[in-house]
Amino acid sequence: MLKGVRKLIPRVHKLDPGCLLRMSTQAPRSITTHSDDQLPVQRPRAICRTPESDPVKTFGEACLMVRKPALELLQYLKNTNFTHPAVRYLLYGEKGTGKTLSLCHVIHFCAKHNWLTLHVPDAHLWVKNCRELLRSTYNKQRLDQPLEASTWLRRFKTTNEHFLSQIKVEEKYIWNKRESTEKGSPLGEVVEQGLMRVRNATDAVGIVLKELKRQSCLGRLQLLVAVDGVNALWGRTTLQREDKSPVAPEELALVHNLRKMVDNDWHGGAIVLTLSQTGSLFKPQTAYLPHELLGKEGFDALDPFVPILVSNYNPKEFESSFQYYLENNWLQHEKAPTEEGKKELLFLSNSNPGQLERLCAYL
Amino acid sequence: MAARALRAARRCSELAGAVNRAVWRLPGLTQVRWSRYGPEFRDPLIDKEHCRKPAAELTEEEKYDQDLRKTQLIKAAPAAQTCSVFADPVISKFTNMMMKGGNKVLARSLMAQTLEAVKRKQFEKYHAASAEEQATIERNPYTIFHQALKNCEPVIGLVPILKGGHFYQVPVPLSDRRRRFLAMKWMIKECRENKPRQTLMPEKLSHELLEAFANKGPVIKRKHDMHKMAEANRALAHYRWW
Repeated sequence: MLKGVRKLIPRVHKLDPGCLLRMSTQAPRSITTHSDDQLPVQRPRAICRTPESDPVKTFGEACLMVRKPALELLQYLKNTNFTHPAVRYLLYGEKGTGKTLSLCHVIHFCAKHNWLTLHVPDAHLWVKNCRELLRSTYNKQRLDQPLEASTWLRRFKTTNEHFLSQIKVEEKYIWNKRESTEKGSPLGEVVEQGLMRVRNATDAVGIVLKELKRQSCLGRLQLLVAVDGVNALWGRTTLQREDKSPVAPEELALVHNLRKMVDNDWHGGAIVLTLSQTGSLFKPQTAYLPHELLGKEGFDALDPFVPILVSNYNPKEFESSFQYYLENNWLQHEKAPTEEGKKELLFLSNSNPGQLERLCAYL
Repeated sequence: MAARALRAARRCSELAGAVNRAVWRLPGLTQVRWSRYGPEFRDPLIDKEHCRKPAAELTEEEKYDQDLRKTQLIKAAPAAQTCSVFADPVISKFTNMMMKGGNKVLARSLMAQTLEAVKRKQFEKYHAASAEEQATIERNPYTIFHQALKNCEPVIGLVPILKGGHFYQVPVPLSDRRRRFLAMKWMIKECRENKPRQTLMPEKLSHELLEAFANKGPVIKRKHDMHKMAEANRALAHYRWW
């Protein structure tokens, strides 16, 4: 359920008494400076918030509830063996249970521990509503998506700025008759080339992915591949060529490269994936299990993986979320703080985090 | 005892029904609004507190009432009626007025988005303001909504009265119900018509509500125009005969 261009820090819930994980916001906001969990650099992160529902504007801070699925994942990540092939972790669950925010928590953790994070905020955006489809220069069978690729490159640049100068490219890449990237030049040049020449953006993305895979196999960095809505890679697309013939996902260069990335033929990192029905194409609304959303092809491609179920709030989590809203004065209705109001919210939302948020928005 | 009373009531209602039918057979009188329910049907009781009272606390009257209700026919409760603590009759009325073609789902979601938009705008203002100003900023969308509509209500209205072949706009006192209706009608009309093509209803409505809350904006202006017209036509006030 990712809409539009999003920038920003994960949203919030409060948590079990004890661990409130807060992320630092931009410098001018001096309301919240949390010295315990600050990121060294302000990183705009793309997740699931539209600019209107930005939590920094409403609460002046962005917090995240630490929940069991995320803690489990963090435990596994702390014990990763970097010589073994990358393990795939799949977060699945019903709509609105918190898969995307658990993914954000994991990304934050890895970023703090100096891993390189490769985050695709919504893979569904690559398989629908594409305004420009160009025939790829690298491979005649495939199609390029310059706009999506350049948006992703921009985001990648802002999140992993300090890595770009350290990683050196291992091969020479020739873009056209006049431009080429020599072997040994920093990865930042490839990214700049992709951003400057939008026609080559998709190829730049492919090169970045290939180089990062190679570098992590050589042990020079730890790589986290995080993809939200990974079921888009193996579904159907709504894109058409000029002659109105449908485009299969493997014919898109971006999807092809990302599929190679979530394969477990490399080591030196981990892959965390999320399924998403909202935004998916041609899938029924009640589908949430891996084999329903991925289909046979996707399931076989991702097999073996570690499935992690993200479910609705338990009573303690609901209580803590409710208290957080009350403390921040988000629940303005006079009947909301009463026992009756709380029971009604519990009933109406069925402890589903997404539904609770939507209910509290207008109360 | 309740059953005997019921039989008596049924007989009475039959008689009443007969009287009703006799009245409506009179020429020149047509019943415009009618209900599928006969006169013997009672209205439903939507009150959680009343139903939860244990039997010991009920008075004689209430016990009789409860017994009676077990045997009487009761109408079905309308879909819009709730026993929710968050239900507000003014908001429901406004939602119904915004509804088009019976699409209550859409009207309700627009209302929810409007309240959310009002809340977010106020929160942004709150965070950007200094400590003294923060005390004055109202963040509750419901108080803003009620106050804005109250500010838009006209005190006096105009009614066209036919005299000597011409219609004159005569100033007339308005009932509470009419004033509330006019305030809501003007607000919705303003938000539907006078806005740039691509703006959505919640955006425009939240903006208008905030302006009306501060006693500014086009709806307040329309109320003032109505008052000015009424003041100008003061001489025609004696055309009113009620």
